[in-house]
Amino acid sequence: MISSTPARESLQDATPSTRSLRIESIDVLRGIAVLAALYVSVWIFGGFSNQQQYHWLQVSRGWNYRIYGAMELLINGKMRALIAIVFGAAMVIFLSKPSVPGKLATPELFIRRQMWLILFGLINAVIFLWTHDILFHLGIMGILLFPFVRMSYRGLFIAALLMTLIYCGKNFWSYADKQDKYQKYLVVTSLEKKYEKDSVTLAFKGTIKAKDTLTKLEVQDKKAWEGLLGSMKVDLKKDEGKVKAMHTESYGKAWNHLLPDTQMWEAMWTYQFGIWDFAGMIFLGMALYKYGFFANKYSGSKYLLLSLCCIAAGLLLGWFRLYYLQVTLNDFTKYVKGYAVPHDIFFPFERALLALGYAGLVLYFLSARLFTGICHAFSCAGKLALSNYILQTILCSLFFYGYGMGYFGRVNQFKLYVFASEMIIVQIAFSVIWLKYYQHGPAEWLLRKLYHSKERAAEKVVPFDSTLPANSFL
Amino acid sequence: MELDTSMNPGTPNEPNELAQNNTTEVRPVDTADRIKTIDIIRGVGLLGILLMNIPGFGIDQSAYYYLTHGSYTSTDFYTHKVVSIFFEGTMRGLFSMLFGAGMILFTMNKKEVPGAVPVIHLYYRRLLWLLFFGVINAYVLLWWGDILFFYALCGMLLYPFRNSKPRLLIILGILCFCIASLKTSLWYNEDREKRLDYLEAVTAEKSGKKLSAEQKEAKTSWLERENWRPPPERTERNVSRMRSGYITVFTHLLPRNADDETWGTYHWAIWDCLGMMLIGMALFKIGYFSNKISSGGYTMGLLIGYGIGIPVAWLIFNKGELGQVHYGAYLDRYRVNHFTLYDVKRLFISLGHASLIMLVYRSRIVPWLMKALSNVGQMAFTNYLMQSIICTLYFHGYGLGNYNKLSYHQLYYVVLAVWIFQLIASSIWLKYYRFGPFEWLWRSLTYWKKQPMKK
Repeated sequence: MISSTPARESLQDATPSTRSLRIESIDVLRGIAVLAALYVSVWIFGGFSNQQQYHWLQVSRGWNYRIYGAMELLINGKMRALIAIVFGAAMVIFLSKPSVPGKLATPELFIRRQMWLILFGLINAVIFLWTHDILFHLGIMGILLFPFVRMSYRGLFIAALLMTLIYCGKNFWSYADKQDKYQKYLVVTSLEKKYEKDSVTLAFKGTIKAKDTLTKLEVQDKKAWEGLLGSMKVDLKKDEGKVKAMHTESYGKAWNHLLPDTQMWEAMWTYQFGIWDFAGMIFLGMALYKYGFFANKYSGSKYLLLSLCCIAAGLLLGWFRLYYLQVTLNDFTKYVKGYAVPHDIFFPFERALLALGYAGLVLYFLSARLFTGICHAFSCAGKLALSNYILQTILCSLFFYGYGMGYFGRVNQFKLYVFASEMIIVQIAFSVIWLKYYQHGPAEWLLRKLYHSKERAAEKVVPFDSTLPANSFL
Repeated sequence: MELDTSMNPGTPNEPNELAQNNTTEVRPVDTADRIKTIDIIRGVGLLGILLMNIPGFGIDQSAYYYLTHGSYTSTDFYTHKVVSIFFEGTMRGLFSMLFGAGMILFTMNKKEVPGAVPVIHLYYRRLLWLLFFGVINAYVLLWWGDILFFYALCGMLLYPFRNSKPRLLIILGILCFCIASLKTSLWYNEDREKRLDYLEAVTAEKSGKKLSAEQKEAKTSWLERENWRPPPERTERNVSRMRSGYITVFTHLLPRNADDETWGTYHWAIWDCLGMMLIGMALFKIGYFSNKISSGGYTMGLLIGYGIGIPVAWLIFNKGELGQVHYGAYLDRYRVNHFTLYDVKRLFISLGHASLIMLVYRSRIVPWLMKALSNVGQMAFTNYLMQSIICTLYFHGYGLGNYNKLSYHQLYYVVLAVWIFQLIASSIWLKYYRFGPFEWLWRSLTYWKKQPMKK
């Protein structure tokens, strides 16, 4: 999501060959990630809901099932991982740029840029109504992880591994909570049976006594599990309300309807999973960059081998995940009783491996000079990643939401992918043409302007690292 | 919470610039003076924060329901009233303001040394460690009202503003409060809509129309809301768990901690804390906390602060909070909630408190108390965590297990005891050591090097 200019500037002294590959690879990867992510984003934009996904998983045959499965395996979560990896690499590039005397120091520019990025994310989410915006997260994570940029690549690899393990742990604990709910439910239902039996025995003995009833808290425990079970039940009818709400022609109503989703994503998901989701991959990106992964560290065939191994391992993990997801969907109670770990326990590794695999593949293509035309196209899109990302929101919301053309929930899965592909072509064309005339994309330009805006003002202030600016105290 | 920076030399080979530079300033101020006042205010804020936290440590939250739904002449009620009007939110306010000021001191106080870790890195490392301590305070010491977590996150947004002009800082701070007020009114509007739906259903019913399913739902859900009282089972469960062993208390508080750190940050802390920090930075820049304003200025601050703040606080308590008792009638009467004025109250009363402290300091009536408070303020981080440690051990089951055993006003005896302890302990500690123990730990972690401790 970062404008790639800093990369270009910082590497002016590098040798031409490594320089071009390094920049090229990061731009290409960023372009691929941002554009391909649309194949999954379009589910949410277009109303291919969880219920439908689960439905096809349960049917488990036919093209709908196959295509969905392929997208779930190849794209879902992996593109976000790739974006984070590239973001991490770009962080190192940005921050290794030497400060210009008399201007704001590089780290401060970085912090300012991140803060503007958070604001861009909020606008993208709350005004353009993309409920699953990630600019917000990238902005925050950049600030949180900023001090780690000085770590060695070894330390960063360990940090990435640690974060990914914690992410697995979070998936596990959230499943353990569900198991806990089930245990409480069992206790309450056995109590209920006992009360029933007692009252019958008492009646036989001729004693008339009011039947014992569950306390409010016990009823709550019972309902908690029943509610969870209900939410795990696949039922296409559940979507009806959502589809109706999304067809509203009023922007205000759509805003009201989508706000809770946005807040869940920005607050709840971030705190529970997002921090680990992004931190792991950003660390990985930093580590890979410092290790030289993006600058032709290996020979072409090595990249290919590494990539194929990663993809194979990732797909294997993904296949297991989908298999156990089917088991979960078929009978949730049985799954909770029978399995100690949830279906998505290794999802964090699955996405890391696949993202790494894709990165390796692209580096192989670049070093072997294969598909140069396509790579160039994606690198253009990558240079304009921020603009493209926001453009996706604007176009998709106008196409799918009720205040636009209202196609939400009215097109099937295949058509959604056709739409996404068209969008990708449009965005590539836009990027290539735009870069013929301008150096930066529109959103990139705006962001740069904003975080550099204080430069002049800063010159007037007594520089921060000299003596205490007494005048600013008075 | 920027505790050490103002009082102590930085890293060993780094003399305190603040001290050196003061002699060359336009309006020379005794170094000891300006630094001391910041610590005194911080000390007051720190001790005062316990006034608000103690019910969270010591009793079930249903207590608030019974306070407002019970007799308005009991000692408990008066205690609640006084604490709400004079202190609620304002001690946190002072503390946040001083955090903002400390942030400026931290960055100004250090020189960039070529080859060494840049100051901005130290600044963010320091905050990351604070974030970590916040998590520890919540999940290990089991204080669910932890504020360090929020402070660390807000502090990360302050850095680019350290050179900003006071005017900009005040505008941004007020903007934060406006957003907070807007959020409050949006929530209130939701309640109002529910109330209106209910009223509509009732009128329809009276005129003999048959209610639609939606109207029935609106009616029952509103009645549930209006007649809500804290379920005794819940209180019972809460109390029995809080009086249990560590693991039970931990699991009991786990969802609450997670919820606070998630939604508390997102909906509330960011505006509440950030706003006060920005305004604190502005006040620091004009010299308000460093004894640079004339006595007339502080008197003015006192009069304006309390003059506006206390009536607003009174209004919020008497009309807003007690209005919740008959919430339906309240919603019918008020289009806008009293709590939209919450930050106005905090801002002005905090200003009043700060001015009062400065005036007392200048009048030199209680120098021993000022000295003790400045010691508490100098060890604010230690003292804050110490409050968690003392109170959780006093109230939770794995300690003395006094949870929910004291009545509301009796809780304040505990506060008094903790205050006296902290005033004395800080003074003794600082006789022998340069920092409080947790300050020392925090510093050592930030610089990733053991720091000298003994005097």
